[in-house]
Amino acid sequence: MAQTPHGSFLRHRGYRYLKLGSLLCIICILAYWAHDPADGPNGGSWLGYTLGTIGALLIGWLAWLGVRKRRYGSTMGTVKGWLSAHVYLGLALITVATLHTGFQFGWNIHTAAYVLMLMVILSGVFGIGVYARMPTLITENMGTSDRETLIDEILDINQQALKLADPLGPEVHRIISRSTERMRLGGGLWAQLFGPLPPGRRAIDELRKIVADEESAASAKVFDPQSSTVMFMAGELSQAKKRGEIAEKSRQLMELIGRRNALIVRVNRDIQLHAQMQIWLYFHVPLTVALLAALAAHVISVFLYW
Amino acid sequence: MVQGSFKIAIVGSGPAGLSAAARAAELGISHVLLEAESWLSNTIYRYQKGKHVMAEPDVLPLRSPLTFTAGKREAILEAWNSGTAALGVNIAHRARVSAIGGQKGAFTITLDGGDTLQAEAVVLGIGLQGNLRKLGCPGEDLDWVQYQLDDPDEYKGETIVIVGAGDAAIENAIALADNNKVYILNRRDEFDRAKPGNLSGILKAIEDGKLTCLYNTKPVAAEDSPGGKRLRVATNDGETELAVDRIIARLGATPPRAFVESTGIQFPSKDPNSVPAVSAQYESNVPGLYIIGALAGFPLIKQAMNQGYEVVEFIEGRTVEPADTPLLRDKFAVLPDITDIEEALATMQRRVPILKPLTPLQMREFMIDSDIRAPADGEIIFQLNDYTDTFYSVVSGTVEIEVDPADPSKRFTLGKGEFFGEMSLISGRRRSATVRAGNQCVLIETPRRSMNKLINSVAAVKRVIDEVFLRRIIQGKIAPTLPPEEIADLVSSAEVRQYRPGELLFSEGDAGDALHLIRKGSVTVSREIGGKDVVLAYVPAGQYVGEMALVSDLPRSATARAAVATETIRLDGVAFKELMMRRTQVRDRVQEVYRSRVAQNAVAQARPMGDVLEFMMSQGLGEATDVLLIDESLCVRCDQCEKACSDTHGNVSRLKREAGPTFANLHVPTSCRHCEHPHCMKDCPPDAIKRAPNGEVHITDACIGCGNCERNCPYGVIQMGIQSKTKPSLWRWMLFGGDEPGRYHPAKKDKSAKKATKCDMCKDLDGGPACVRACPTGAAMRASPEQFVKLYRGGR
Repeated sequence: MAQTPHGSFLRHRGYRYLKLGSLLCIICILAYWAHDPADGPNGGSWLGYTLGTIGALLIGWLAWLGVRKRRYGSTMGTVKGWLSAHVYLGLALITVATLHTGFQFGWNIHTAAYVLMLMVILSGVFGIGVYARMPTLITENMGTSDRETLIDEILDINQQALKLADPLGPEVHRIISRSTERMRLGGGLWAQLFGPLPPGRRAIDELRKIVADEESAASAKVFDPQSSTVMFMAGELSQAKKRGEIAEKSRQLMELIGRRNALIVRVNRDIQLHAQMQIWLYFHVPLTVALLAALAAHVISVFLYW
Repeated sequence: MVQGSFKIAIVGSGPAGLSAAARAAELGISHVLLEAESWLSNTIYRYQKGKHVMAEPDVLPLRSPLTFTAGKREAILEAWNSGTAALGVNIAHRARVSAIGGQKGAFTITLDGGDTLQAEAVVLGIGLQGNLRKLGCPGEDLDWVQYQLDDPDEYKGETIVIVGAGDAAIENAIALADNNKVYILNRRDEFDRAKPGNLSGILKAIEDGKLTCLYNTKPVAAEDSPGGKRLRVATNDGETELAVDRIIARLGATPPRAFVESTGIQFPSKDPNSVPAVSAQYESNVPGLYIIGALAGFPLIKQAMNQGYEVVEFIEGRTVEPADTPLLRDKFAVLPDITDIEEALATMQRRVPILKPLTPLQMREFMIDSDIRAPADGEIIFQLNDYTDTFYSVVSGTVEIEVDPADPSKRFTLGKGEFFGEMSLISGRRRSATVRAGNQCVLIETPRRSMNKLINSVAAVKRVIDEVFLRRIIQGKIAPTLPPEEIADLVSSAEVRQYRPGELLFSEGDAGDALHLIRKGSVTVSREIGGKDVVLAYVPAGQYVGEMALVSDLPRSATARAAVATETIRLDGVAFKELMMRRTQVRDRVQEVYRSRVAQNAVAQARPMGDVLEFMMSQGLGEATDVLLIDESLCVRCDQCEKACSDTHGNVSRLKREAGPTFANLHVPTSCRHCEHPHCMKDCPPDAIKRAPNGEVHITDACIGCGNCERNCPYGVIQMGIQSKTKPSLWRWMLFGGDEPGRYHPAKKDKSAKKATKCDMCKDLDGGPACVRACPTGAAMRASPEQFVKLYRGGR
């Protein structure tokens, strides 16, 4: 993450929680290394219980972030400090919990809780990644504007286009209204994450054809050598002028639709970037709930079958 | 038709005149109440239907035969109508006074139409509203040409032409445009008289095609033609005709000053806001001619009604203790020895020279707004860097000003009759020194608004304060150790200069002929580098620019430009150089500033931040004291800042994260900048906008929801909203869903009146602004201009 005067949560207070987390890891590893229980390293030794307790408390505290960040009046630290601690102590949890297992895995609720925990942490690591990358991409895509303004502009262009299309006959009107109806902003989860299909080129292609037809018709008729009478010429000339106007207006329409489509692409890209930035939370949070349930089951079962 | 001879003639049936007439009727004194319109109290009659009328000041008792309590316009008018009828007040309607002549005991009053009547005493209660300006062309009195708009929702589907380019015209035009086809006729090519909020509103409405503006257009005639109602207008391209249903002209009013002066009454200054001076008995300089109400400087209804009662008593030769005496007695409670209030007020005026030019009534008003303080010896009155903005006059004893923050023992003593606190009042910045009470100290503490009112209405007060400010700031910034005589030449060479935003103080390459001490606003210093103007520094009020050229004798090395509306004190270069030659300590001090600035500029040029600084200046940094900034490279768009604001402030967020401009990665959301001279404070009827000691500009519960501040804020950071006390439960939301804390908007169901809401920097919360504390990634921060420059130059 770039150095900014604002100070990212990762660098909070000179990496205070990175240091704290590392210290915790080192102490746990040293204790594990020094400790040599008779029946091999496991969760049931005194060190196992200690690590388990630390781990469970950490998990409870890490999950509490969801509460703290919504207690807006709280003066217990800042949310930035909490998030910084959440990240580094959450990473340290990998060490604590892994040492707690004593590397004993099996098809049981205990290992299930451990795997769930790793999934939560992994999703969190992914989150740090997107939080580092996406904000800048969103700004680059949006420039100085915002989504609401762009959507307003798109709707505005649609109105303008319909107005412009009205006098150009039913064919052009149909092209434009179909094009406005078919435009897609955002959409379902899939469309949000991977982007909806870009706006089709059909309207523009059809307009281009009309422009070409009208222009060629306009120029062809004027220089028709067959037309001999003055009256006929005059009629043709005004016809030609009219067709020239239609061509000109259709060309303007093409430009409008083109500009609108570019805006649609930008809005959709904005929606996509936001979705990609936030999707991990839809794994991180439910997995955390599952982890808390599994952890409770793990703790209860250990005490029941003691 | 009114004729005859009366003891008292009362001109104008507003609250003041009405109350006077009612008292005269009650006492059975021969009287007449002259009213130009066909109804009573035209100003209040013209209020929008159902408007809530306030009864400020709450503490003041009402003294009148008529009743008055806060309430709807209709109820108040009804009470007055029935009250005057019951008392048998002699009212003459449609009696517009065109001249008053004669003298005490024998005045002759001439009415429009030539009727005359005689009176022994005349009471003027005509207010300041004046007469509404009419269209000024044929047809101005047609029934579909109106000069008032009570309820914009009354009109639907009409073609309406609004004539005028002031605030009233703009507000009417925008309100009507929702349901009507609206034209706005502007004689000129821009709306330069409008408040910023209205200006941007009308320009946007025109751009969006909501209404049509005809610039450089004048009405020529309104006519009922066979084809319908028509308005002929003259444009730059000739005359044309508009088919209309209605014309609403909002052209302001002709102030009554010319008429008042024609009666022989004098005004103290040319200032259009000034009002004639009156005695404690409300008598003007013309004996027998009394002035009450707004024209005497008392715009509040209750005050005016009390004066109506009192003036009749005075004319009858009785003395009345003014209704505000109990209030004043409370003010003097800190000085238990004082029993006679009149005497005490007079003593204060004798002791404090700046209060001398006040009329007795102004003095009473001033004291009701102010507080008397008798601090203990050594008590701190205010601290260096406090953001308070009240003004203090020393009535007796002394105060000690700590001149040097590093050495509190260095003090400067002010005695009886002097004043302090003028620096913050004028510059809008923090207190420049700590002040302690000395022995036997008695002070008058006056709020900013009352002081500004006084400065604007009494020219002598303004002059004295400006002079002292000048002397003190020159002494403080340039020669703190020299006796005042030494700098007399320099002070007399000084002049106050005003600059519009963006105007140049001086340009790179100019000859250095002066030094500018910034009195108000701020200045950017820039230099042309590689053909581009690069901003090197931001210089706030209280500091100076332009010393480099004076010290070095070289041409100006940089350009200084006003960042916002700025006032500087220009000190003449020659007088300044002389002082430097004579006094080495002045030279040393200036050279020190010079050296540090050369070093600063070198850093600035090595680490240019010109574009981002320029961007921030365009966002009001030049007048800000604290801005919310978001680093978009860190912002994950979670809106925690907005939610925190909403959750901690009655479910109304005062900031819009996504709105507002962005430069590179720096985003300035729509949120209060806490300006040095807050635009929002300018026009707040109940004086509900205050500055807290730490600089927070906030709105108190006194807000009446008029929306002036919302319109006056150039940054669009004030919203009208309904705050609610209930908060959704976090646990209920987490376990069962429903309303989420921070996203709860119960206001939609609430029908109570909207009030203005704005950022108060969470001054009532521990731990500082909730928006910043709730930001998970560190993207949001608040910074003063100085902090901003420091941070963005990388000099942390």
